[in-house]
Amino acid sequence: MMTDSDMTCEAFDAALPDYLEGTMDVSMRASVERHLRECVRCTGLVRDLENITKEAASLPDLVPSRDLWAGIEARIAAPVIALGAAPARPRKLAPAWMAIAAAALIVSTAGITYTLTARTIRTNGVAPATSTIAEAPPSAVTSETTTVPAEPAGSIEAGNPVSSGVSRLAQNGAAPTSRRGVQATLASQTQPETSPSEAIYGKQIELLQNVVQQRKAQLDPATVAIIERNLQIIDAAIEQSKAALRRDPASRMLSEQLNHTLDKKVELLRTAAMLPAST
Amino acid sequence: MMAASNAMPVTVGDSTDVALAAAGDRQAFERLYRTHANRVYSLCARMSGSRSKGEELTQDVFVRTWEKLPQFRGESAFSTWLHRLAVNVVLNARKTEGKQTSRTEENEEEGDRWDESARAPMYIERMDLADAIAKLPAGARKVFVLHDVEGFKHEEIAQLMGITSGGSKAQLHRARLLLREALER
Repeated sequence: MMTDSDMTCEAFDAALPDYLEGTMDVSMRASVERHLRECVRCTGLVRDLENITKEAASLPDLVPSRDLWAGIEARIAAPVIALGAAPARPRKLAPAWMAIAAAALIVSTAGITYTLTARTIRTNGVAPATSTIAEAPPSAVTSETTTVPAEPAGSIEAGNPVSSGVSRLAQNGAAPTSRRGVQATLASQTQPETSPSEAIYGKQIELLQNVVQQRKAQLDPATVAIIERNLQIIDAAIEQSKAALRRDPASRMLSEQLNHTLDKKVELLRTAAMLPAST
Repeated sequence: MMAASNAMPVTVGDSTDVALAAAGDRQAFERLYRTHANRVYSLCARMSGSRSKGEELTQDVFVRTWEKLPQFRGESAFSTWLHRLAVNVVLNARKTEGKQTSRTEENEEEGDRWDESARAPMYIERMDLADAIAKLPAGARKVFVLHDVEGFKHEEIAQLMGITSGGSKAQLHRARLLLREALER
């Protein structure tokens, strides 16, 4: 329909979205309003659409037909089951912590070498070079019971002293140059307070504990709590192995078990020392 | 930014419950649910065009909220954050469904069809605005609900739905015309 405003209803329809949005320029708006004053059809259309808009804005909230909380609670309470370990993402460590960790490893390795060398010297009354110890055939290295001070152990928070235990290097076993190489043997002689292997582990543990202790503030508290809980479990296992060894000092199995558990502790502390800082 | 008139109400106790829930307190989270459930459900039911679907989506929204809550930084009101999360859950659910829909429904997604089938779960004898909204084609319905019911602006809708601002305006106008037609019957 054509009105005096020179705007057809078709043209009005085309302009309607902008008119309702209020995004129309002044002259066009004046033209639309002139058309509205003269056209009943378009006036009714605008009125209806404006009513729909008003009514939509004031629609009341709907209410679910049932309480949905139970279903939500069941879903958020369900344990998360890991489908598979995600590949470890290489993360950058702060150079300072890399240096501390590297230094700890160097010192602990040197400590092991020194302890073994010194013990061999005492045993044989000769002074072989460190490299000779490492390269010597198994028969060249002998050992006897040596008493060394107990090493600290325990949680990150505090180094709990480890009670003394019994373990000996094998008479004909290879000289241990790694933490896994330390072997116990049947022993019927005097029981030392702490075995050489414990002493070696003890040094490593002490060094790593110091690193972890210093890094604690940078780690996520939840991670620290998990590490501490695991350390407590390992410490309990160490104590049990030691108690069993006190009752049966000749048991190779018990001696190996103790070394294995100490090994686990070193591994855990090393992992903790290398953890990236939490963000 | 949402229009002030339609923004979800900011509840006094929200901030404490949000902090508690983010730390894993389920009771605090239940209080948040009780406060916001109807508002979220209204959005889900109206956008999906189905009350039963709305209930499923509401549960999805709150499960998602629980998962994402530790990431809520408080830069906006919790209710605004929740509202936007709900919109995303509904829109993503539609996208997932869209991959499994038949050709007929795909056409509907494109906005070519005014749904007069018995599909409308909100059907009651007298057609009112709520019923008519449920029968709108999906694209027009979502835009109409977001703009006219929830108070989002075209720019926001365009961003959320991955369409242009002009497309949002066109869908809105189409939705209004279809609603007028339905309500006149």
